[in-house]
Amino acid sequence: MAKLTIEDLKKIKERVEREDQFRAGSKRVKITVHMGTCGIASGAKEILDTFMNEISESNATEVMVTTSGCIGICSREPLATVEEQGKDPIVYEYLTPNKARQIFKQHILGGVVQTEFVMAKGSEHDTKKGVGK
Amino acid sequence: MSAVEKSKTDPGLAEFTAEQLAQVDKIIEANKGKPGSLIPVLEQVQEVCGYLPAAIQKVVSEGLNIPLANVFGVVTFYSFFTMVPRGKHVIRVCLGTACYVRGSQGLLDRLTHILGIEPGGCTEDRNFSLETVRCLGACGLAPVVVIDSDTHGQVKAAKLEQVLAKYN
Amino acid sequence: MKVYRAHILTCGGTGCHASGSDAVHRAVVQELISRNLSNEIAVVETGCNGFCAAGPIMVIYPEGTFYQYVKPEDVPEIIEEHIIKGRPVKRLMYKEPVTEKTIPHMLDIPFFGKQKLIALKNRGLIDAEKIDEYIARDGYMGAAKALTQMTPDEVIEEVKKSGLRGRGGGGFPTGLKWSFARKSPGDVKYILCNADEGDPGAFMDRSILEADPHAVLEGMIIGGYAIGANEGYIYCRAEYPLAIKRLTIAIDQAKEYGLLGRNILGTDYSLDIFIYQGAGAFVCGEETALMNSIEGKRGMPRPRPPFPATKGLWQKPSVLNNVETFANIPQIILNGGDWYASMGTERSKGTKVFALTGAVNNVGLVEVPMGTPIGDIIFDIGGGIKKGKQYKAAQLGGPSGGCIPAEALNTPTDYEEIVKLGAIMGSGGLIVMDEDTCMVDTAKFFMEFCQEESCGKCTPCREGTKRMIEILKRICDGQGKEGDIELLEELAYTIKDSALCGLGQTAPNPVLSTIRYFRHEYEAHIYEKRCPAVVCSKLFKSPCQHACPIGMDVPAYMALVRANRLTDAFKVMKRTNPFPGVCGRVCPQFCTKKCRRGQLDEPMAIAWIKRFIADNAKRPKIDQVPVTRKQKIAVIGAGPAGLTAAQDLCLRGYKVTVFEELPHAGGMMRYAIPEYRLPRNVIEQEVDDIRALGVEIKTNTRVGRDVSFEQIRKDYDAVVIAVGAHKSWKLDIEGEDLDGVWGAVEFLREVNLGKKVGIGKRVAVVGGGNSAIDAARTAVRLGAKDVTILYRRERKDMPAWENEIVAAEHEGVKIEYLVAPVRLIGKNGKLVGVECQRMRLGEFDRSGRRKPIPIQGSEFTLAVDTIIPAISQNTDASFIPAGSDVALDKWGGIKTEGRAKNRTSAEGVFIAGDAASGPATVVEAIDMGHKTAIDVDAYIRAKNNEPPYKEPPEETIEIPFEVDEEVVETPRAKMPELKKSERMISFKEVELGYSKKAAHREACRCLRCDAEL
Repeated sequence: MAKLTIEDLKKIKERVEREDQFRAGSKRVKITVHMGTCGIASGAKEILDTFMNEISESNATEVMVTTSGCIGICSREPLATVEEQGKDPIVYEYLTPNKARQIFKQHILGGVVQTEFVMAKGSEHDTKKGVGK
Repeated sequence: MSAVEKSKTDPGLAEFTAEQLAQVDKIIEANKGKPGSLIPVLEQVQEVCGYLPAAIQKVVSEGLNIPLANVFGVVTFYSFFTMVPRGKHVIRVCLGTACYVRGSQGLLDRLTHILGIEPGGCTEDRNFSLETVRCLGACGLAPVVVIDSDTHGQVKAAKLEQVLAKYN
Repeated sequence: MKVYRAHILTCGGTGCHASGSDAVHRAVVQELISRNLSNEIAVVETGCNGFCAAGPIMVIYPEGTFYQYVKPEDVPEIIEEHIIKGRPVKRLMYKEPVTEKTIPHMLDIPFFGKQKLIALKNRGLIDAEKIDEYIARDGYMGAAKALTQMTPDEVIEEVKKSGLRGRGGGGFPTGLKWSFARKSPGDVKYILCNADEGDPGAFMDRSILEADPHAVLEGMIIGGYAIGANEGYIYCRAEYPLAIKRLTIAIDQAKEYGLLGRNILGTDYSLDIFIYQGAGAFVCGEETALMNSIEGKRGMPRPRPPFPATKGLWQKPSVLNNVETFANIPQIILNGGDWYASMGTERSKGTKVFALTGAVNNVGLVEVPMGTPIGDIIFDIGGGIKKGKQYKAAQLGGPSGGCIPAEALNTPTDYEEIVKLGAIMGSGGLIVMDEDTCMVDTAKFFMEFCQEESCGKCTPCREGTKRMIEILKRICDGQGKEGDIELLEELAYTIKDSALCGLGQTAPNPVLSTIRYFRHEYEAHIYEKRCPAVVCSKLFKSPCQHACPIGMDVPAYMALVRANRLTDAFKVMKRTNPFPGVCGRVCPQFCTKKCRRGQLDEPMAIAWIKRFIADNAKRPKIDQVPVTRKQKIAVIGAGPAGLTAAQDLCLRGYKVTVFEELPHAGGMMRYAIPEYRLPRNVIEQEVDDIRALGVEIKTNTRVGRDVSFEQIRKDYDAVVIAVGAHKSWKLDIEGEDLDGVWGAVEFLREVNLGKKVGIGKRVAVVGGGNSAIDAARTAVRLGAKDVTILYRRERKDMPAWENEIVAAEHEGVKIEYLVAPVRLIGKNGKLVGVECQRMRLGEFDRSGRRKPIPIQGSEFTLAVDTIIPAISQNTDASFIPAGSDVALDKWGGIKTEGRAKNRTSAEGVFIAGDAASGPATVVEAIDMGHKTAIDVDAYIRAKNNEPPYKEPPEETIEIPFEVDEEVVETPRAKMPELKKSERMISFKEVELGYSKKAAHREACRCLRCDAEL
């Protein structure tokens, strides 16, 4: 690949932002499983597998799964964030494959947030705080 | 002299397969003359051979043209290197502060008791070796015991035997 | 594999099991068999699904329907409706989530809301293995700006302006470091990243490398450009395989995009970055040692100067910064140094990441603006101490740091302020320790760490740390000697002054700081052979026994109850405790707090078993002890301390007389603790046992009125003052002389004397301790309609026992938190109301609790006709004549002397119990009674040149050893209680005591920690 220039950087940024606006794309829901060493050690890999399985079993094409690092509160892991189009992200805590299945069925397919497993909604990266943009 | 050749005369290398020794030769060949390559070479060689006995250190010393004393010095300095064989399964008990505060010393004592070996040792059947580490950075799960590449968090002493039973 | 059309999952976790899930499971299996469905439907018992509060839980797949509170009788309906007809049973489904509004927003959770993310700005957001996602979040824009719009000097200037200091621990200004390296002549320079995060308990570098590796690379590009380096190394510990993997991917991707390599972003600047895998040596975190290690040598530090900025890696000018430092750089370049410097304190700018671990509720990574008080991090962000335990200290800065005690929780996170405490910021590992941590053991742990990691190059570090460990070890093993603490300090300062590198110079810090704040713990180990946190196992057999002030042999009497040998159990208890029946009811049970069973399920109900033995054992006959010694002893006060001392001295052959002002013996046990908690016959019986030994108790005899203190001193060879603390503290506010104002102790005493106490209808009690609860519950029983406790802090801060608080609430007592009285309002000399003020919680006080601060303008009036202040008590020392050689302290109590505080300033006059210690507990009073008796005896013998007392051999009681083969989680046996309706109108004992069966079952739960295997 050719060397990037600053213009290219900006283009990538715009492109990814556009793509990352999965809301505008074909994906209706994005699941982020938080997989730092801490998350993996508490079973995040299993959670990721569970979601993957559920997607393939249900043939849900509008759901995507991605991974990210630790969000900081290691004692509540495994954690996953579910973002639905146009809604606040929901962070689920202390996940187990069973809970993940329930979340998948009830929340991601059924649209009902499983409050009993929720840690919080929204994001700590909200602009109103002016941090992290 | 390559490791493969040396093995014909040095009984210390008898326990390694020809394949292992060939790999050792390859690692040394790839790093010859590179400054500062001793530690990466030792890391890779240990990966192949499981540990770094004197005979292997001699091979590295000659191969990289570094005095054996220096090689020995480095091997004994860093905790990552070991001169005793490792068991099939390596148990590492985290003695980092967070784990210690949450009772990992008790886990180590219990393991010493169950396995009949001290930290750094290897069971007679070479199934387990027992090591301690200083913080694996998984403090959120303290106390932590790592067996091979599985991290076991919030381990209770009473449950250790059950955990070990899975590794045979 | 067999295919089932549906799976029924029943939860078999502990929580659901306790609520009856196995019966549900059996019912499902049974139902499926009877309907012949076993071949189509699978039943699976799962592990805990975490929603234990709604157990037993059942989930049915493929739909994933979630049923809660399932009972066996619901099963046929579920099978019929759901499985056969496909209609989920609505009534059993989890409650429709009320509304998502009930879910807190991330920023409403203090853990997140109080943080400010710069170094961690991308955490949890981007996929670390996708460079595009990093770029989308302004990634590499900082590097682009630096490389295309700024000169290297401008970059350095910006970093200087930001005030950023090395986040690895040293705190050296980053911009300054860079400028030194820039000015050093040389064609070849190196930019190095220290990712050898060796400080145990710190994991922010790992997390950044795993979550956002490009941020570190970008920081290195900017740094490399600033100093003129074309080659960089990241020295990462081998223990972090995932970090290494993600870094490797990141470097490859950056190279592919031309963000690393030749002519970055089309500019003239080129940089290659390599990963160097560390081989495990803490000292390699030291910069010169790290450079030696990259050169393939043993990682030993080099003497400085020359500094790395002039002669670093391969003798070339080098800059080494830590991961977190680099991660801050791109933001500083993008947003400007002023932006960064606008956060933090005068000398510590920006934010700092802390790894919060140990005994806190929220373990994790925390990034806060510099200057945030440490207490805020632990209590607001960290959510306080696990299991409601007491905060003891936090270790900041790892093995090179020091501890932060409760009294320093207000300290801001600022490099210089923290150094003043004897700790260091270090890399930001903040390990919280609770009451179960022994500080001597902790110091030993860190010392061992440094000793093991000492590279051996310089003598102070290599040998000095060894000698320090030897001393710490012997202290922990109970072999400590007078002078050991001073010796430790001397060695520590020598090592600090003379070691070659940072590792050695800081190695003694944990020892010095624990001595500074927890000297009493060292002293307890050395002089009393006692580990207050019950950790140093060489000092004890079982934790419960060690935690007990009088060392009751708990496992022994547990074993004897299990063997149904109650009389022997009773004898074992009486060896150390003259009041087992009392303690079985009112002891605060220091033992259960350390009970190992508690780590498994619930701690043993030690006091309840004790009570069972005392209530049910056939008591051995007591013979009078012959008087064998000519000296006579007087004890003033027949409370637990005085009576214990009297008993012990009587057993040693002395003639002992106890003087008691009130009509009955028992002291505070009899006159402060209400009858519904401690029936009078229990006290009587145990006092009678002491009388039977030959102790004379003169009741209704007040010293200073019926007999003078000076006369007693003349008539007796030694005097033990054990008068307790029977005088309530005043509130010190307007209106305390009104009719209707009672001190709690005085109120309880009048009631317990059987006098008719005129209590009003509306009663307020002030305070949060057990006597406040006692006063409130007594007022309820006397017919008060409305009883309110006013407490100035929060419930979790109440010193009263939880079960007492709950019992009071059950009986209708209201508790107002964060409220304090400011004025008592009277009418015609009678109390009619109390004006109160609301409080908010401010800074931390010395006890580590937040200080209540009055809210101006929040005053309100409570209409009451009685108010009972129960804030504390002190000793009535009026029986001591003015000018006596028994000196008083500045609060009017009796001045104590000696390490054990059981001597007064006068020869031959001893002191024990609350009068010596201030308000404490029965068991602590007994302990003091024992110690004082020994001291009195030793005093008399020494005076007569007699050899010390020799304990007679005690009767051997064989203790059986029988334990369960397998330990099964079993909750503690419940205590039956009197019905509420009966409680409110009488002083009958509320707790009814264990049955034989319950006691036996409970005793079987003992893990027998005393056994030597």
